[in-house]
Amino acid sequence: MASIVRLSSVCRRGVKPLFFQTTLLARPLVVPHHYQEQPHQLTAKIHASQALYAGSGSKAASMHWTAERVLSIVLLAMGPVAYYQPGPVIDYSLAAALTLHGHWGLGQVLTDYVHGEAKIKMANAGLFLLSTVTFAGLCYFNYHDVGICKAVALLWSK
Amino acid sequence: MALLLRSFVRRGVCLSRIQSVSISPLICRHAAPMGTTAKEEMNKFWAKNTRLNRPMSPHLTIYRWSVPMVMSVTFRGTGVALSVAISAFAAAALVLPGSYPYYLDLIHSLWVGPALIGLAKLGIAFPVSFHTLNGVRHLWWDIGKGFRIPEVYRTGYTVIGLSLLTSAAVAFLL
Repeated sequence: MASIVRLSSVCRRGVKPLFFQTTLLARPLVVPHHYQEQPHQLTAKIHASQALYAGSGSKAASMHWTAERVLSIVLLAMGPVAYYQPGPVIDYSLAAALTLHGHWGLGQVLTDYVHGEAKIKMANAGLFLLSTVTFAGLCYFNYHDVGICKAVALLWSK
Repeated sequence: MALLLRSFVRRGVCLSRIQSVSISPLICRHAAPMGTTAKEEMNKFWAKNTRLNRPMSPHLTIYRWSVPMVMSVTFRGTGVALSVAISAFAAAALVLPGSYPYYLDLIHSLWVGPALIGLAKLGIAFPVSFHTLNGVRHLWWDIGKGFRIPEVYRTGYTVIGLSLLTSAAVAFLL
């Protein structure tokens, strides 16, 4: 926290921010007087104002983040299961987990690169469509064709 | 980063206030003048820069490439590629009339020699292997471990080495 305060106080004076802690400390900064006399209070105040925001937002984003990690771990566990116990249960589970993992992953990519209200909406709609088709196709494959595990096995036997 | 931006904006607002009202920045920060979220501020950044038609600063073209950077790009690249491949497979399953074994035999009859088959298997195995192993590295970071630079490089090289090994093993031995 304190390092962020220092960075911003340097930035404020139009100096390029330095990311090396030692260099920052070595420079004879002309620090405003009140920063120098109450460095701890400063940090405390930033923490305090942060608390103002902590309650106002929703936990949706952080829950989504956690769900992404949980799903990743579940998907990891499915690998050995698919290898040692192939069958319809793991086939449909893989279909669901792979689709959702891909959907959320591509969602993050879109969030990173697509900007502008309308474009974001369109991109997410397109992604939703893609994921729906993907899940439908995988389930269809599991039902009417050999299934994911068997498909991989056949592919590798060649 | 968002935190830095927020403290920036807050201070920015305070600074403009100072000119007219001359409140000390310390008190102004207390008052939390704007109730914007990081997301709103990010959107404002993009809206303003698109409106002013500003070009994006060079980044990938000028920044010195490093192992962690390449690995991160590859991680994202393999993720997108695998996702698209799975979606393409699923779409094909819905659209194409024949069954999977039929198409597999069809493709197999076109294939010339074991080397090409091995290469194709490697082409599938390496993205899966790299993405999985680097994914584990990401989860390791998510529990807060391994952020020191030497550790980043060590885990990075481990991932690269292991994914080359496992994909070669899976492609040529299985």
